[in-house]
Amino acid sequence: MSVYKHIYRAYDGKVTPAWTRILVIARYGFAEAWSSKITIGLFTLCLLPPIVFLILIYLANNPIARTLIGLRGAQGFAIDARIFLTLIEIQCWFALPLASWIAPRLVTFDLADNALPILLSHPISRFGYVLGKFVALFASLTAVTSVPCLLLFAYQGYTSPLPWAAANLRIAGGLLAGTLIWIAFLSILGLALSSWVKWRVVATGAIFAAVFVPAGIGGIVTGVLRTRWGFLLNVPFMMTSIWHRLLGAPESSRFDFSLPTASIVIMLVLACLICTAMLNARIRAREVVRG
Amino acid sequence: MGVIDLKGLEVRLGRRVVLDALTGSLQGQAIGLLGPNGAGKSTLINTLLGFHAPSKGTASVFGLDSQRDKAQVRGKIGYMPENDSFIGNMSGVRFVRYMAELAGLSAGEALERAHEALFYVGLGEVRYRKVNTYSLGMKQLIKLAQALAQGPRLLILDEPTNGLDPMARQRMIQLIKEIRQQGSVRLLISSHLLRDIDETCDEVLILKQGRIAALCNIEEERRSNRSFMELETIGAIEKFSANVRGLGCECASFPDGRITLVMPDHIEVRDLYVIASQQGVQIRRMNRRRDSLEDIFLRAMDNQTGRATHVSL
Repeated sequence: MSVYKHIYRAYDGKVTPAWTRILVIARYGFAEAWSSKITIGLFTLCLLPPIVFLILIYLANNPIARTLIGLRGAQGFAIDARIFLTLIEIQCWFALPLASWIAPRLVTFDLADNALPILLSHPISRFGYVLGKFVALFASLTAVTSVPCLLLFAYQGYTSPLPWAAANLRIAGGLLAGTLIWIAFLSILGLALSSWVKWRVVATGAIFAAVFVPAGIGGIVTGVLRTRWGFLLNVPFMMTSIWHRLLGAPESSRFDFSLPTASIVIMLVLACLICTAMLNARIRAREVVRG
Repeated sequence: MGVIDLKGLEVRLGRRVVLDALTGSLQGQAIGLLGPNGAGKSTLINTLLGFHAPSKGTASVFGLDSQRDKAQVRGKIGYMPENDSFIGNMSGVRFVRYMAELAGLSAGEALERAHEALFYVGLGEVRYRKVNTYSLGMKQLIKLAQALAQGPRLLILDEPTNGLDPMARQRMIQLIKEIRQQGSVRLLISSHLLRDIDETCDEVLILKQGRIAALCNIEEERRSNRSFMELETIGAIEKFSANVRGLGCECASFPDGRITLVMPDHIEVRDLYVIASQQGVQIRRMNRRRDSLEDIFLRAMDNQTGRATHVSL
């Protein structure tokens, strides 16, 4: 019908399956996140370390190139779990500012303009709405963590003259699991905090604070009580421990303490449950007045 | 099966009973939902949309339970909320398209219908502007456009004329009338303005303190009250009343000289003056009721002062 014929007509065409509405939320969320120039800037910044590592892997596997730039022998160029540990640490910490920037854009616009009653009056559940936003954020973060890490692993496997990839499959598994755990945690944390703060800048700061302030408190607890359990509040420490263990790299000697893997997992799951509860309380079509 | 069926519906928010034992079947083409502030109008709408779970009873839309078949019910409803509700940094057409896609339309179909809906409500020229740059009237219209774009079977409008100036209000009322006349969509219009309901609806549900105060067909009521009159008289009103009854009128007289009567079609006002003259009765004031909905509402509210609070014409 021409748009010039101003009459109302009911829709009697096909409707899409219910599960695709989650993808609609994700698609619009993704578009919203990437419409910002700052997102593009941060993304570009996140791709710089993989380029450096790409050159490093190239040099490590190419003696002629090493000779040309004046490097003799392969010392310091052994591509092993420690190199990929450094890579995953850099990429995952680069993902934090990206998540802090994107997550508020996904949620706060909807909350600031009270869009939830209209959004949730459509055939999509609250869970579907949150899942759609989660997918948008998770996919954005994957592009700067899992994808470059695994591509570099594949490149190392391809260029290495030895049957390197088969012997180091654990690194690939560790890279995948380590990055997925981190970005899943970041995504749910980012969405939960963004849903409670209407101002985007404040939400961005809150996400940083949620990662680093408990770490400081944990440090104080550890220092005062002389117990290792204070590190359970230290997300950077816990994630570094997890990445070490997943990649099979030797534990860092920077810390005198180490935490059992089970306690770290429990702590991360607990944090995710708190975030889920925060989302459950906030993502509603109507405020429910108790009284 | 009605458009909306309520069976002993009770909704509690916390410990407070907001809707109490609502039972009824709403079948009109355009159903008005009336009541003072806090009567439970918005809670009933939210319950129909599945936002609130009934603590007792059921509410169904086109035979589908509002809780059990939540997704299907929402797929049949276009909802225009009372308060501002939009995504401000999206353009009008993108926002409406987004909502249509969420309702289940394909991306291409949603875009086409978004353009149509925006032209239909009169926002065609500003459809590429961001929604947060719209005026209040435009924001009301874009809420209506997004509700229409998906082509719902039931359109729920919560206070559609809220905050509109007289011109914008007329435009909104006209749109609602046009949609009603098209006949392919049923309307549920919540308002505390009797005039809006009177102009647009053929059935009315009046809520008072969470209970149904009245559920009736406005058209039928209007027909039955067509010659409803109020008189203020001085003199022998008992004899006057008896003579008026003799003409075939239903008549009730009050000690303060007030008389209310329903005149049959064949009786003219002139006949009343003739009887009054014969009986020596002065008719000081004669008021022909022009708005039967007001009568219905006032009866429902059982308001001794004659006008309920928060309700205006």
